[in-house]
Amino acid sequence: MSEARKIPFNNPGWAGNTGEFSLTEEEVRGHDYVGRRPPAGGHPSGASSYPYMLAKKDPDAPLFAGAYRERFDKLRTRYPDARSALLPTLGMAQELRGYLSPGTMDEVAALLDLSPAYVRGVATFYTMYNKRPVGRFLIQVCTNISCSLCGGDDVLNAFLNNTGTELGETSEDGLFTVVEAECLAACGFPTTVQINSRYYENVTPKDVPEILERLKAQGE
Amino acid sequence: MAYPYAHEKEVRILSKHFGEPEARTLEGWKARGGYRTLDRAFEMGRDRVIEEVKASGLRGRGGAGFPAGVKWSFMPKEKTRPHYLLCNADESEPGTFKDRELLRWTPHQLIEGMIIAAYAIQAEQAYVYCRGEFFETTQILARAIEEAYEAGFLGQNILGSGVNLDMTVHCGGGAYICGEETALMNSLEGRRGTPRVKPPFPAQAGYLGMPSTVNNVETLSSVPFIIGEGAEAYRKNGTQESPGTKLFCVSGHVRKPGNYELPLGFPLMELINDVCGGVKQGRKLKGVIPGGSSVPILDAEECADCELSFEGVIKAGSQLGCASVIVMDDSTDIVKEVRRMVGFYAHESCGQCTPCREGSAWTEKILRRIEEGRGTEEDLDTLVEVTSQMEGTTICVLSDSVAAPVQSSIKKFREEYLARIRTGEKVGAA
Amino acid sequence: MADQQSPKTVTLTIDSQKVTVPKGTTLLRAAEAIGIEIPHYCYHPGLSSPAMCRMCLVEVEGWPKLAPSCKEVAQEGQVVFTESDKARRQRTGVLEFYLVNHPLDCPICDQSGECKLQDFVFSEGRRHGRGREPKRVLGRDDFGGDVLFNADRCVMCTRCVRFMREVAEDERLTVVERGNRAIIDTFFERGLDGSPFAGNIVDICPVGALISKDFLHKARAWDLDRTPSVCPSCSQGCNITLDTRDNLVQRLKPRENLEVNGWWMCDFGRHNYEWINRGDRLEAPLVDGRATGWPEALESLLSRLHEASGSGKGVTWAHAPNEEMGMLRALMEHLGGGEAVYRSPRAPDETPLPGFPLLIRRKELAPNDRGAEIFGFERVGDQNGEGGLEGVAQHDGVLVVVGDPLTDAGEDFGSKAELFVYLGTRGSPAASNAHFVLPITTFAEQEGTYTNVQGRVQRFWPGLRAPGVARPGWFILGALLAELSGSDVPTSADRAFALVAERAPEFSGISYKDLGNRGAPVNHPASVSGD
Repeated sequence: MSEARKIPFNNPGWAGNTGEFSLTEEEVRGHDYVGRRPPAGGHPSGASSYPYMLAKKDPDAPLFAGAYRERFDKLRTRYPDARSALLPTLGMAQELRGYLSPGTMDEVAALLDLSPAYVRGVATFYTMYNKRPVGRFLIQVCTNISCSLCGGDDVLNAFLNNTGTELGETSEDGLFTVVEAECLAACGFPTTVQINSRYYENVTPKDVPEILERLKAQGE
Repeated sequence: MAYPYAHEKEVRILSKHFGEPEARTLEGWKARGGYRTLDRAFEMGRDRVIEEVKASGLRGRGGAGFPAGVKWSFMPKEKTRPHYLLCNADESEPGTFKDRELLRWTPHQLIEGMIIAAYAIQAEQAYVYCRGEFFETTQILARAIEEAYEAGFLGQNILGSGVNLDMTVHCGGGAYICGEETALMNSLEGRRGTPRVKPPFPAQAGYLGMPSTVNNVETLSSVPFIIGEGAEAYRKNGTQESPGTKLFCVSGHVRKPGNYELPLGFPLMELINDVCGGVKQGRKLKGVIPGGSSVPILDAEECADCELSFEGVIKAGSQLGCASVIVMDDSTDIVKEVRRMVGFYAHESCGQCTPCREGSAWTEKILRRIEEGRGTEEDLDTLVEVTSQMEGTTICVLSDSVAAPVQSSIKKFREEYLARIRTGEKVGAA
Repeated sequence: MADQQSPKTVTLTIDSQKVTVPKGTTLLRAAEAIGIEIPHYCYHPGLSSPAMCRMCLVEVEGWPKLAPSCKEVAQEGQVVFTESDKARRQRTGVLEFYLVNHPLDCPICDQSGECKLQDFVFSEGRRHGRGREPKRVLGRDDFGGDVLFNADRCVMCTRCVRFMREVAEDERLTVVERGNRAIIDTFFERGLDGSPFAGNIVDICPVGALISKDFLHKARAWDLDRTPSVCPSCSQGCNITLDTRDNLVQRLKPRENLEVNGWWMCDFGRHNYEWINRGDRLEAPLVDGRATGWPEALESLLSRLHEASGSGKGVTWAHAPNEEMGMLRALMEHLGGGEAVYRSPRAPDETPLPGFPLLIRRKELAPNDRGAEIFGFERVGDQNGEGGLEGVAQHDGVLVVVGDPLTDAGEDFGSKAELFVYLGTRGSPAASNAHFVLPITTFAEQEGTYTNVQGRVQRFWPGLRAPGVARPGWFILGALLAELSGSDVPTSADRAFALVAERAPEFSGISYKDLGNRGAPVNHPASVSGD
């Protein structure tokens, strides 16, 4: 019975439990090992799956102008009716503005010819749409069963202590908001933390200060 | 090999190329033998493809275990309206992380499987509903789809066969309930992701009221092998009722958590002790949840003879679900973990049906009270009764998922609850 | 019973009773057909069926799980139990879940007495609650318009959301959040203002979550008397109920009539009832300004009528019921023919209910324009129902005014008339010129019929006592006619109707019995006269 072989971790998004963060954001997003970087606006088949919260958040940015309008137009062609494009459109609106304000929901409703109350109902159903402004880095710590068995609550507390926030609150400098997340589907790498669009896996309470330093240094 | 640890007992069909970054590219996948089954499938013709998948006995890998070939055969034979193929990549079941690996490492395997499936059910539109948190994963998948378009494997007239297929990645918004097939269709339609009443079934009225089929990522990824090597080859692994291999997601208190591809019917204890290295030194196994948090908990006794197949786990007293094995050793605080699981369901309930909406939140509150030491012994009876009032009465099975951990843990770990209630004592090391 | 089943029906057994229903009928409707009421919340016959309240689950023989009867289609030979142990336990369980968070507001809740939660819990709920957790508190929300929303009481049946979406086709309500945190809400501050049919959601809300501000804390449901009637605010003729107490109308509610208004009515008509309660009424007959009793007044009037030599002119208004109008016409003919006019206000446009196209709030803002047309009255006056009486104001013969309050007529209206008879509910400067001022009842105080814009004759019943000695108009006119022409005195409204029906081919052959409480179309209904 041979020894189980450990595979070198080439897993983008893995923070590793050695505390070394040698991967750059470019490497994480990656473009040189998965085909070519899609053209500006993205390939229509996945136009909405762009890194989110990469762009600077601006609650007053015009929605759907320029590159984002292009993305929306491509996106709209993928669905037989306008209503089906609602979720990706809300995602794009959130990408630009950081959260879905009533005005944003109104604009999306007008764009897709739906009633604003309906858009509100849909937006509030899903967890990922922020209904209020959040910090620059939205830190979502999984505390569900698998991560909880491996100390997820300790990681959550470590984040809360190190950022000096209460659960769901934004820190004074506007950088960090810490929330609990439900299962992030990386249960083999407890504890998993999703910060903006990137997964940090195998996080222990010891790693937390380093992660926060890295985030501040990236100044993303 | 499975990810991140390999083991020689694995039978690597789906996970052969996990961990190889080149496998994500079209060229890399073709070099590994990919995209060869499309011509074969088009040659066989629709009906034979469905027969082959039926003969292989491939059962749905998303948790329900419904035979995929049979599901495909429900689609109308005469195509009078658009048909849709929907891939369920909304992997939110606690303990499950196999679809993410399949999408990250071998997206072309999924695309190949979807092309064959769409051909079989006469769908010209396919959507991959990815959960919204999978940013990196959807990027990889979107680029793979782009490559497939460029190579002529998607779009109009695939490989000159006259078959058309358009594939789109649709990102969800963060809701576990959208993994339920009818809720997925509602969410894809841009509505609140609430499950629909069945009948009508998706094959009659699905996405936008059109005939649709929803299949899990793993199920569709298994299709190229079946078409390429044949149903007999597929049946070489697994049991009679549960043929094939499965990606088992092992998590919790094991030394080597991760995905392992093993034939169905593999003994549970062998998986935990041999393949995954067992529980930590000095600890004993307390319980195992064999199929994601929605199935009853098995205690150490019941695990001893449990075989991980659909029928084997039923025999042991639980269900296989999506084969996400969550291992709990004796340091586990059962009351806290059950509360956390029920809290998950209360958070994710869509809120349509009264028993689930009110019952899941109520159950969580009672469990929280017990966890904080303010419970009473009547609470245990209340919990069992309330959850049995919830089971089987709702549109989808989320309320059954609330009942499963509560009832099984009260039945099998009653002393822990009682200890908590009577003395506030927490069983298990902190 | 039938040996040969036609393929268009199915026969099944519900609670040991056989019932045959058309194919496609749901179990709930099939049970209704034999008088079995299956408790439900989210189902409503006028809305879609989401089967989400889980109250209507019934046991079907041979099925492992209970079936939602509002959605499940009846099949041949099914055996259904609505009162079996399983079904009852299911309902008791669901009711317990509702009560987990439902506040104990019955003492202050308007819905008390007509609340479906109270009714079902009383008959099938658990005797004692076992929830020990603090209840969710959400407070009260003003939805705009006439609607107040008590979020704690909401049972999330989503009838209101579906009504606004499917029937009013103006989606202003939605469910926000999910799971236990789900609640109904509007789009932030944009409420129901300006929605002409929003009042219906108060009717269909099974509990006291949505309540009418107008009716807030006004009267207890069990104190109210409910009288079937017809809405007098426009010519659509929606079937309504007058809910009265202390001889005042407290509110109007729609009645089901699939030919006219479905289950709905518009807010304009719904809130237009205060005028019925006004106290400034004529209560006794006045002869030359002196109050007398009916025998004296009628005797005096009859002798003056016999003496009168001039021609007759008649004025009425579109609020007069068919019986009154018919009698007035007959009286005019007796006085040698002559002008007979009526007045009726008009709105500039109409308001349809998109999801139930039969119901439109019409331009004619009075209930009986068709009746006036049928009986040969000519419309005069402007769009406000004013003016147009120049031709009759200075008439020097017999002038009979029935109903129209003449509020806009000049002080010298009818001053030249040889005999001016005024039958009305209220006085006015013009009316005081009348030699005979006779008090009559409003539609709410009498039995009668209106003919709506589609040509449907509908009955209404009295919900209030008439003030003083006021009598229905047909009663007075009928007595006069009896003396003048020798016809029978109509002693009841249906006899009055029979008498006037002889005058109009549209009504021939129709009797009160035929009309029931849903009405019937007139013979050869002509198309709607639009103006």
